[in-house]
Amino acid sequence: MNCRKEAITLMHKYLDGELNTEEERRLRDHLQSCPSCQSHFHELKRTTTLITNTSPVSAPPRFTANVMNSLPKQKKRRNYIR
Amino acid sequence: METMIKQKIKQVKKGDQAAFEDIVSFYQNKVYHICLRMIGNSYEAEDLAQEAFIRAYTNLHTFDERRKFSTWLYRIATNLSIDRIRKKKPDYHLDAEVKGTDGLDMYSQLAADQALPEEEVESLELQTYIHKEILALPPKYRSVIVLRYLDELALQEIAEVLDIPVGTVKTRVHRGREALRKRLRHV
Repeated sequence: MNCRKEAITLMHKYLDGELNTEEERRLRDHLQSCPSCQSHFHELKRTTTLITNTSPVSAPPRFTANVMNSLPKQKKRRNYIR
Repeated sequence: METMIKQKIKQVKKGDQAAFEDIVSFYQNKVYHICLRMIGNSYEAEDLAQEAFIRAYTNLHTFDERRKFSTWLYRIATNLSIDRIRKKKPDYHLDAEVKGTDGLDMYSQLAADQALPEEEVESLELQTYIHKEILALPPKYRSVIVLRYLDELALQEIAEVLDIPVGTVKTRVHRGREALRKRLRHV
């Protein structure tokens, strides 16, 4: 298997959950015999773990109220215009 | 929850402005999150997120109710962020970081009841570092990485948010991940 072309593409497909059984087997077999791809794969998995495990962010206080105050003013429905 | 949102959207379309409040309140964290990770500065992120909701409100009549509202809303937020990035000088983010306001804001984002032991601070520093590296990506890679990993959207949904083919999303996720692999290797 060509490492740069095929193996790395399969690694990314794996990370996106898009490997079929056959591709999964091919990638596994290759990783067992190729230390350089093994370390590449390890780094990729670690990268995704690092970027996934970030703490959730909250909008600033009063965010909703500020948005509501900035909305264009509603036109009053006038049923009795003189 | 989608049902509740759909109901609220109908009410807003009928002219009930107050019903929009629940929509904002429900999506505010997600939208702010996308803007913050795209732009890197909390003041600008707040401004962009507000603008996104205001645009969603004024353009709500164009929203097709058969589609997912979040996808539509995220698209507005992402487009606004990308427009803002384009208007900036390329090195603006780095300058903004140095001023230190963002670091301060990172701390203020933490829930008040959360203690800060040593290892927490350390991981917070690590997170700040990771976010900086994400910000260093060109916007087209940054947007897919933010949507994929910070919001955990599926590839198909990212394609809909960004209005690009799913094949392009795959390529960008692939390249973005490779770029981050190189940058985060020594962490």
